[in-house]
Amino acid sequence: MKFRMNPVYKKELKISVRTVRMAMIILGYNAVLALIGLLSFYFTFNYSFNNNIDYSGILQIYLILAVIEFGLVLFVVPAFTASAISGEREKQTLEILLTTKLKPSQIIFGKLLSSISSTLLLVFSSLPILAIVFSIGGIRLFDLIQLMLFCVTTAIFVGSIGIFFSTCFKKTVPSTVFTYGSIILLVIGTLAIIAVSYMIGVRNYDNLYSASSTMIEYNPPGVGHAINLLLINPAVSLLALLSKQFGSPSYLSSLLSHYGKTNTVIFDHWYAISILIQMLLAVVLLCISVRTLDPLKNKK
Amino acid sequence: MLEIQGLYKHYGKFTALNGLNLELKKGELFGFVGPNGAGKTTTMKIVSGLLNADAGDVFVDGINIRKDKKKLKEKIGYMPDFFGVYDNLKVVEYMEFYASIYGIEGKPAKKLIYELLELVNLSECAGNYVDGLSRGMKQRLCLARCLIHDPELLILDEPASGLDPRARFEMKEILRNLNHKGKTIIISSHILPELSQMCSTIGIIQKGTMVLKGTVEEIMQQMNVSNPLLIQVVEGQDKVISLLKRNPFVENIAIKGSNYSIGFKGNKVEEANLLHSLIENDIRISSFFRQEGTLESLFIQITKEEEGEKIEV
Ligand SMILES: Nc1ncnc2c1ncn2[C@@H]1O[C@H](COP(=O)(O)OP(=O)(O)OP(=O)(O)O)[C@@H](O)[C@H]1O
Ligand SMILES: [Mg+2]
Repeated sequence: MKFRMNPVYKKELKISVRTVRMAMIILGYNAVLALIGLLSFYFTFNYSFNNNIDYSGILQIYLILAVIEFGLVLFVVPAFTASAISGEREKQTLEILLTTKLKPSQIIFGKLLSSISSTLLLVFSSLPILAIVFSIGGIRLFDLIQLMLFCVTTAIFVGSIGIFFSTCFKKTVPSTVFTYGSIILLVIGTLAIIAVSYMIGVRNYDNLYSASSTMIEYNPPGVGHAINLLLINPAVSLLALLSKQFGSPSYLSSLLSHYGKTNTVIFDHWYAISILIQMLLAVVLLCISVRTLDPLKNKK
Repeated sequence: MLEIQGLYKHYGKFTALNGLNLELKKGELFGFVGPNGAGKTTTMKIVSGLLNADAGDVFVDGINIRKDKKKLKEKIGYMPDFFGVYDNLKVVEYMEFYASIYGIEGKPAKKLIYELLELVNLSECAGNYVDGLSRGMKQRLCLARCLIHDPELLILDEPASGLDPRARFEMKEILRNLNHKGKTIIISSHILPELSQMCSTIGIIQKGTMVLKGTVEEIMQQMNVSNPLLIQVVEGQDKVISLLKRNPFVENIAIKGSNYSIGFKGNKVEEANLLHSLIENDIRISSFFRQEGTLESLFIQITKEEEGEKIEV
């Protein structure tokens, strides 16, 4: 069968390419990124004495740029996807789409693809700036590719959250609120849950400890395996990725072992496992969205 | 072409469709008439696969719409009562988008789009942005859009609403033209005279049931029976009353000078018989006709009756 581009994706692409906005955004984003990159370079090299280049400084530039890319994906993709379906509904174009030959899955997929691709275009367009870091050394090409792939999976994950709420709600406003709400919950909320339950656990232990007369070693409990909740946190995945790339698992391990216990297998493959789980969640959310969109499967 | 059997639809406790039946033959141009909230849009959405019915069956060209959604979508073209268009898309691109959904691309698509735009008189606007079109143009564009896959059944929900008389006329011509090309068409509307000029059959829906269905003539006839027979008698007035009283179909007689208004429950043949007997009895008559009922008065009559208020015609 001949390959055929998803019609919805093609149409969205046509609309977004038409406006100058996209070009301006790409220009602006890369300008800001380049500025940050150059400034960090300036500081790294100016403050290095005896012509000794401090490679950890370069790693820091990479770290900053990686976090910016991640933040971009995390907060811009949902802006597109949260209005993807509800926007069509508000524009009163969705009903027409649903009576055409298009399957609900094609609509969902086309929308996800177009919402993700404009953001990923931004990410990929900044590759040359990231490559500056790479040209000096300290970071391998493979690391850059991995970072890009991570941006793709994160975009799919947060994108499908947006699509999900966008099909659930009739209006874009609640959809956007719930989408950002759940992203904040994922990134900050999960950490807060772990931290709070850790503190409660420690307080209870302290009370018991001071009350008990026998001399036992002070050993407050962590949150145990509940720490695995962080697997769905994309920010922790980024941390895991960067730890792995820098060859020092200390960032991740200090976070995980301080608050709880993890299985060594999970710990060793934290990044891969977390991405797998996030992709699974994305698939589930997308499947629910497809079902919700189908007027005949959806009761009412 | 279309068969609807005992269709029910409830919104919570509210019954929107209450056992609706409808059968349309191929090539019919069916006018679907009813007051606001009668269930026209609901019926059309169910037939188009946008809503699930609670009970009942719908067959489009023999296909059960619950069973084969894919085939249904090839057969129908649906135009909603309210719809929007995309920003930043030109008329041609708008059409190209829907063509691509059906796998029509490149040269064949260009040709088809050109033909369809021609059909709806929009070829001059091909390069315009769709969000800048007037209401009437958008409506015609939407019609062209639902023709893109050459469907056999067109389901048009108030295609002429919000249009000025000129645009209405154009829309009517286009629809008639399409009907001549063999398309089966359902149009919903509130405006009866318009439908009676254009449609081959008309159905009147009231509170989710079809209260009356037939050809325009049949419906006219049916309503005429309740309209009075008007006779103007020039000579022989003395004999008229006794003659009329003997006729079994005469129900009441009102006299105003030489004009007689008669409640007559007979059909055309019986009308002719009455006229014949009057003339045979040397009564000289200058006019003899059934008062014409408009579809509008029928509409009001039917919908009022349903509310339980009998009105005298
Ligand atoms: N989504 C819904 N939820 C609840 N009630 C609904 C819904 N859609 C329609 N209804 C009700 O069902 C009834 C039939 O509505 P429908 O839109 O089919 O009427 P209509 O004949 O198309 O009217 P109009 O001439 O105003 O377009 C109305 O009383 C309406 O209030
Ligand atoms: Mg309606």
